[in-house]
Amino acid sequence: MISALKTIHPARRAILVGAYVLLIEWSRALIQYEPHMAVAALVLGGAALTLVVVGWPAERLGLGTSRLGLRILGGLALGAVLLLPAAVRSAAVPVLPAGLAVAAVAVSIGEELAFRGALYAALDELGGAPLAIIGSTSLWTAAHAISHPPAFLGAVAAAGLLLALWRWACRDLVGPVIGHVVADLAL
Amino acid sequence: MKRAALLAAAATTYAVAAWMVAPGFYDGFGPPQAYNWTCPPPQAGANIKPPSGRQVVKVLNGVSDANSAFTDDGQVVIGFLPGAFDATGKTAITVDITPLANCPQPPGIRFVTNVYRITADAPLVKPANLVLRYSNLLPDPSDVYFATDPVGAWKTIGRAQTAQPFTVDTTTREFGYFGAGYPSASPPPGVVTVGGGQTLPIVVAILIALVVVAGLPLALRRRRGASTDREGRPEDET
Repeated sequence: MISALKTIHPARRAILVGAYVLLIEWSRALIQYEPHMAVAALVLGGAALTLVVVGWPAERLGLGTSRLGLRILGGLALGAVLLLPAAVRSAAVPVLPAGLAVAAVAVSIGEELAFRGALYAALDELGGAPLAIIGSTSLWTAAHAISHPPAFLGAVAAAGLLLALWRWACRDLVGPVIGHVVADLAL
Repeated sequence: MKRAALLAAAATTYAVAAWMVAPGFYDGFGPPQAYNWTCPPPQAGANIKPPSGRQVVKVLNGVSDANSAFTDDGQVVIGFLPGAFDATGKTAITVDITPLANCPQPPGIRFVTNVYRITADAPLVKPANLVLRYSNLLPDPSDVYFATDPVGAWKTIGRAQTAQPFTVDTTTREFGYFGAGYPSASPPPGVVTVGGGQTLPIVVAILIALVVVAGLPLALRRRRGASTDREGRPEDET
């Protein structure tokens, strides 16, 4: 299946990757509010999103190990930026319940690998960086349309744009992964 | 330089967009819909006053039907088994759920939800299942509290295994006033309290300090490396 995906037209590949990612995200959002399903939906959803990178070379996903120190620092900086408005707004925001921490890590990594990893790479191959940035941000926002109240979608889109621009500007996915994990663990 | 400017613009756009919604963050594991507060906390932002709810439970052959009453926003749901009420002489039983207009602060308890008054025109003879939804803007509650008078004594009626995130479940055998919260003498349950409840600002401060402290030597080393490259490079290549 992976080799078949590699031989298909870039447009079809981008559509397939986008459709798969949206399907997983929407399914996860619908299942996670069912009784006793929150952790399972988040962990399995994160794992299913991770599958989308199978067959992609690490460099194409922005997962190289060169300048690793800077990538990690960049991730911490992204995490600080993502958390800053909430930190300024309120001095005492509750921390994520411990039971959801593993699920938060799984789904954060899965989302970054899917949106700024495989989907970005597929769209980049199809139409270059502008399509990759705009396309991955649009699908990221659409993917959160079920799980988030409409009022949140502006912030979701802005976060997606920031992470996609980082992916483009630094050719790096390690930073977005770390930033997303840190931010989701803190809130 | 252009890339750095674009990143800075995107970070600024995010900060503005996130600031416009409570708690000022794009993601996380919040409830599927915003909580409607009677007394919103400062970080709540725009708020809709909580609605009330009413349900008429049918009585067939002297036995009340299985049914549930809930507020229109789903913040309170109370479920009744068949025969849950003493339905003597009744053909229907009306259950009302009303958010209290003020926010009681009894000694020793910190509420994290609105306080609701639940009444019915028949007493319970079987326990009813009560579910209260809460917000991610305040700490998780450890218990559901009950009182027959909101300015009187409150007692905990515990909490059962929670079925859904951001809900607290319990059972009750009587009607009155209900709210979810935690003992104010103890730290909020499930929360790692660092620096007196200033956890998030401390996390962000640590992140910024890490980036600055670790980033400066890295940046200096890269700059030194780049200038060494320039000095060692033949002139025709510059």
